[in-house]
Parts: sequence; C-alpha cells; structure tokens
Amino acid sequence: MIAKGAEGISLELAKGAGGISFEHVSVRYGDRGAVHDVSLAAGPGEVVALAGPNGSGKSSLLRVATGLLVPSEGLVRLPDGSAVGELSSRARAVRLAWMPQEEPVGDNVPLADYVAYGRYAHFSPWAGPSASDAAAVARALAEVDLAGEGDRGVRELSGGERQRARLARALAQETPVLLLDEPTAHLDIGHQLDVLARVRRIARASLRTVVVALHDLNLAARFSDRIAVLSHGRLVAVGTPTEVLSPELLERVWGIVAEVRRDGATGVPYLLPRLPSGTTAPRPVGAPGPRVHVVAGGGSGASLLRHLVDAGYDVTAGVLPLFDTDAAVAKELGVPTAVELPFVPIGREARVELGRLVEEARAIVVAPFPVGPANLANLETLVDAVGRRPVALLAQPSGVRWDYTEGSAEAARRRMVDGGAVIVEGVDEAISWLAALLPRRGAGPSPGPEEDELNLERA
Amino acid sequence: MAGVPARNVAVVGLLGTASVVLIAVSSLLGGVWISPAVVFAILVHQASAGALGPACGPYPSASTACTIATEIVWDARVPSIIVALFAGAALALSGGTLQGLFRNPLADPFLLGLSSGAAMGTAILFAFGIFLSQQAVALPLFAFAGALVPGLVVYAASRSSFRNPETLVLTGVALSSVFSAILATFLFYNPSGGLQVSFWLLGSLSNETWTRAGILVGAVLAIGAALSIQGRELNVLQLGPDVAHSVGVETSRVVRRLILLTTLLTAAAVAFTGVIGFVGLVSPHVVRRLIGPDYRRVLPCAAVFGGIFLLGAWDLAQSVIPTVVVPVGIPTAFVGGPSFLYLLYRRRASSA
Repeated sequence: MIAKGAEGISLELAKGAGGISFEHVSVRYGDRGAVHDVSLAAGPGEVVALAGPNGSGKSSLLRVATGLLVPSEGLVRLPDGSAVGELSSRARAVRLAWMPQEEPVGDNVPLADYVAYGRYAHFSPWAGPSASDAAAVARALAEVDLAGEGDRGVRELSGGERQRARLARALAQETPVLLLDEPTAHLDIGHQLDVLARVRRIARASLRTVVVALHDLNLAARFSDRIAVLSHGRLVAVGTPTEVLSPELLERVWGIVAEVRRDGATGVPYLLPRLPSGTTAPRPVGAPGPRVHVVAGGGSGASLLRHLVDAGYDVTAGVLPLFDTDAAVAKELGVPTAVELPFVPIGREARVELGRLVEEARAIVVAPFPVGPANLANLETLVDAVGRRPVALLAQPSGVRWDYTEGSAEAARRRMVDGGAVIVEGVDEAISWLAALLPRRGAGPSPGPEEDELNLERA
Repeated sequence: MAGVPARNVAVVGLLGTASVVLIAVSSLLGGVWISPAVVFAILVHQASAGALGPACGPYPSASTACTIATEIVWDARVPSIIVALFAGAALALSGGTLQGLFRNPLADPFLLGLSSGAAMGTAILFAFGIFLSQQAVALPLFAFAGALVPGLVVYAASRSSFRNPETLVLTGVALSSVFSAILATFLFYNPSGGLQVSFWLLGSLSNETWTRAGILVGAVLAIGAALSIQGRELNVLQLGPDVAHSVGVETSRVVRRLILLTTLLTAAAVAFTGVIGFVGLVSPHVVRRLIGPDYRRVLPCAAVFGGIFLLGAWDLAQSVIPTVVVPVGIPTAFVGGPSFLYLLYRRRASSA
C-alpha cells in the first residue's frame, strides 16, 4: 500500500525486455509543482495503471517518461541502464512508445501510412522502409483488429477506429515499453473493454511493460496488475487493485463515498460510488418543516421528492422496492423510506411501516407511478387514510398504461377521489396545493398551531 | 506506399507537359515579335552550344538581325523563363513547408514577415538614393538581407524557449509591423521612393540575366533539395509536435531547420523577383488536391507547379496589355485568387 522505492525492485533485464523505473521524479511548471518525488517501477509483462483525480500528475508522469517533460529532479531509467533524458530521439522512440490523450486529427492519409509514422525511428530516410517495417505495420493493424483496412483514410475512420489506429501507431514502434494516456477516452464501453483487453494481452504475450493512465477505476482494477494512485502529484498508494482500492483511499483521494465489491467471477474489485458525503442536497437548516409522505415508484416521484425537500418539507417516502430509481433518489436526498425487496408484493412489515409514516404525515402526495400486483398495497393502504389525512394524486399521464392490476388500481384511485383526495396536474400544482395547506418555513409568517389545525380540519 | 498510383503518374506527366508548352510559349512572348522558327532555332543552337542547327533558322547566321534576335531570346527571355520557374518553385516550396510546419493552410512564404523585411531593405536604397548606379547588384543584396532579418529573428526565437509554433508565427506578425513602420519612416523621409518600392514589391521578371538566373538556380536546387527530403518529418508533424517527438522526430531541431531553409529560399526568390504573392499559398493546395496530403510528394510537385504557375503569370503579364509589361504580382493574384476560391468552395461542396 505504501509507495515502494524503485530500488526495491530488480531491473536486471536483457535489453529489449520491458521495464521502466521512475526514480524520485519531480516536475515543476513554473512555481507550481505537478509531480513530487515519485518512485515507481514496472517490470516486463506488467500493466501498471496510473490513477488519480484530474490534475493529480498522471499525464505529467507519462510525459516525463517520453522525454517531453524534463523532470526538475529525478529521472526515468530503462532496463538497459539508460536514462530517458540522455537518449537521442531515435534511441528513445525504439524503447518507448506513447499514446497521448488527444492529438490533432491531421491529414487524411491512408491508415497504413499513418501507422507507419510509428516506424519513423526504425529506418533512415536514405534506406526507406524495409520489409520488416511493413510487417510491423501489418502486425500492429492486426493487433487492433484493423487488418485489411490500411487503404482507408484516417479521417474516414469512426471515433473508435481512430482510437485503435492511434494505439496501432504506438504498437508499430514495437517498443518494450508502452505509455498510454487515457487510451479509452471517447470510446463506448464495448471498445473500452476491447482496447484494454488487447493491451493486456499484448503486454503478457510479448513481455512488454504498459503504464496506462486511467480515470475509470473499475477498468483500472480489471485490466492492470497494479494500480499506482496519485494525489496532488504524490504517489499515495501502489499495489494490486485489491490492496489499493479501499473505501478509505477513495474518500481520501477522490472525496467520494464508494462501496467496494468483488466480482464473483473474477474476484476483481469494483466500485459502487455514491455522491460525496456532505454534497447531498443541502438539508434546510433549523426545525424540520411539516411532514409530507410521498408514494411513488419507478422514477415517477424523483422530481417531486427533490422539490419537496428543496421547499423545506420533512419528507418521507414508500413503500418503494430496493434499487428503485425513486428509492435511490430518496436515499440520496436523505428521505426516510419504507422499502421492500424488488419484484415481490409489499409484505406485512412494509405495510405497517407505511401505515406509521402515513399517520405521522400532515399530508400525502401520490406520484403517477405504474401500479402492478406488487405495489398495489400502496394504494389500498392510502384508501383508508383518505379522510384522515389530506391526499393529492398527481394525474396519470394520458395515453400511457399505468394500471397493470386489471382495474384494481384504477378502482383504488377512484375510491380515494370519492373519499376527498384531490387530483393535481403536476409537481408545481402539487407544491402549491401543499403550500396552501401547510405553509412552509421561510414562506411567509410561521403559522401558529391553531391555524395549522384549522387548515387540517378544512381539508 | 505500395506502388505509385496511376493518378500520380498522370499528374507528373501533366506537370511535365505543361512546363514544356509554357516554356515554348514564353520564349515567343516579349516586346519584339520574333517568328517561332527563328526563336526555336536559336534555342536549339544555343542550348547545344552551337552543335545543332543553324544559329538563327531562316536568318543568315552572321547578320545583325540574328545577333539581335539571339540576344533577345537567349540573353533576355530565357533567363526570365528560368528565373520564373525557379522563383515560383522556391515560393511554392516555402509555402508548402510553412503550411505543414505551422499546420496552417493560410501560411505563405511571407508568413514570418519576410516581405516587410525585403521592402524595408529596398526602401533603404530608394529612400536615401544610395548605390543607385550599382542597382543591379545592390537591389537584390538589400532585398535579400532585408528579408533575412525577420526570418533570422524568428529562427533565433525558435532556438530559445519561445519555440511554440503559434508564438513563432506571432513573432513574425509583430516583426512585420515593426518593419512596415520602419519602411513608412524611410518613405516619409523621401516620398518619391515609395513608388519605386511598391513597383518593385509587385514583382518583375523583366531584367533577368544569366548571372541572376544562375545564382537563383543554384540556391533553389541546393535549398530545395534539403527541404524536399523533410517530407517524412512534415507528415508526422501534422499530428502535433508531441506525437512527432514520441515517434523519434527531433522536433525542435526540425522546426529550426525548416524555418532557416524557408527563410533563405524565400529571400533568394524575393531578391530577384520582388514579393510575388499567391504562388506560395496556392500551389501546395492545388498539388494536395491532385496527389493527396503526403508531403514527400507534395513538396517536389508543388515546386514544379509553382514554377509553371509563375511562368504562366509572367506570360499573362507580358501579353494582357500590348506593349506594356504589368508587374507579375498582378496576374498571380488575379488568376490565383479566383481559382483558390473555386477550389475552396468546391471542396466545401463535395465534403458537405
């Protein structure tokens, strides 16, 4: 877990084999330090992911390794003992290949010519490209699944193909070390997995070393042997994904609350991030407003919940199935919620909880949620509450099927309206209905208890 | 990379044919009409150093008419044709190189302020009336030196830490306005010099000699060859200096070398022909449309095209108004501007 010094790892490797070691590298841009004393080594066949928030120094570290940035202190050493900064351009380009995060699109040259740019250092302008250069280009194209596409113009490639073409150019350099800066940026999830799986396979098969900057920690965990975590230019952790990805580290470095789970099939950890603690919707300060209970489901109540919380009401919700969109929103908003397991009818315990929440509420708002046998009990419980508590039903959108109970839900709604529930057209109208009924804190003079009672009586 | 496409062979054939035809036409044009039979006899006889054919075709070999015709054709027209071809090539090569180097399709040979430098150089002569008797030598020298100044300042900047391409272009722009201010100051001192400077700037190929042609040919061949082999570097530079660096291009060294070579090449052309616009801007674009974006082919083809373009413009300059030779910069802009627009909008339409 603690950053390990480069000297701890032996790099006695034959020339040509992979391997790279950053030795006490620091980078300064003017007065500002971008990288502070980073030591990190990667061996042949190893994929090391650089992770860290924006501006943590990942790209700077890779640029130091390519010789684009001169470190203010320290150096990057290769297995043959050479330091990157002392190599000639050509010598460096046959040892290290770099794929930048972004690059100009350039001219519409044939893909094969574009990939052949990676062979620049391999032949002299007098000799011209040899058969081995052509073979390297063909191999690189095949490795990224673009074999036979060499005649297409690079500007005619799709975004995903272009990204793979860029990778092919770096692969065509046939270097023992590959430095990839966010190789999956701009790719859809399928291509993200595809490209990283290829990179990993290439590293294993030819004992190359890959150092890859990745924003996506789940991808980093899945495709790297070790993750090096940078924060404000400092190396704060290095180790296997399992060692490194802990909720404490995620909170400390990224400021997020995340659950770390484990993929049952591969044992690889993956993250379920939550919003950072302290950045949930700001709870109104002072005494809680009047209690309002919301019945919703399937996302029908998300906007309503947010508006009610914003308006200062003390909101409760339920019964909602676990993992339901509205349940997630309620959790995020800190709204106490009665829950039930998904896809099972609302059980007795949940029903009792709902009854309690309804009794404690000063008003009830029903979102236009789709009703099926599993959540019909929500409406049936409310039928009993109408008359004892003011109830507003948000109108069901016309033309959209919402009743999956062969009429029971429709009947329940009708009984509620008959019993005195009002129908409101949307969230705004629901809020005004509540505002008239239960004046909020901060909206006009605070009502006395009598007036409050009076309102209730009238409703 | 695999074989040369038939299209490229066709383009090379087309350029070759066009240059032969234009050279033939140009040798007939001028203030005095000499019949084609005489002109071509003179060309063949002189080019073969007297070994082939009669000296003047139908004219008796030792006649005064023959001597005068030979002087006009061989010692005035042919040097002008050669200067046109090589100055055009120099401008097109510089323009194409700078377009590639700065990844800017608007770049031309004067991007770094060379035209104002040259104008300032010549203004020293005209405004102060110095070296007027040795103008044939002094004018090219002062123009060359003036054009070198901004180019060398940018070159010096590219060696320092201010080497990002945008900074270099802006350095050129800033220098250009400084030199324009110096030029204006000189002309304020002697306003009549202004007319001479502006005529000179519009370009002329009227007073070419074998000496001037020889110097220009030598310079263009040497520098042009050095530039033409940088096609591979220019190709990779299209992906930005960082990517070029990562595949092994010594980016900063290449940038410096290209700035130095284009400055020398442009200054050489300017010294003999004045500031001729549009050739350097348009030629690389036309060639790219014909044979694609690969700089290894664009640069040599643009050189040939630029030569043809300038020679064609020179022919127009001699023939549009009878008995008057208009400055060659006028037809290059008149023909070049609209054809450039045509290319531009046709590309827009086809890519839309």
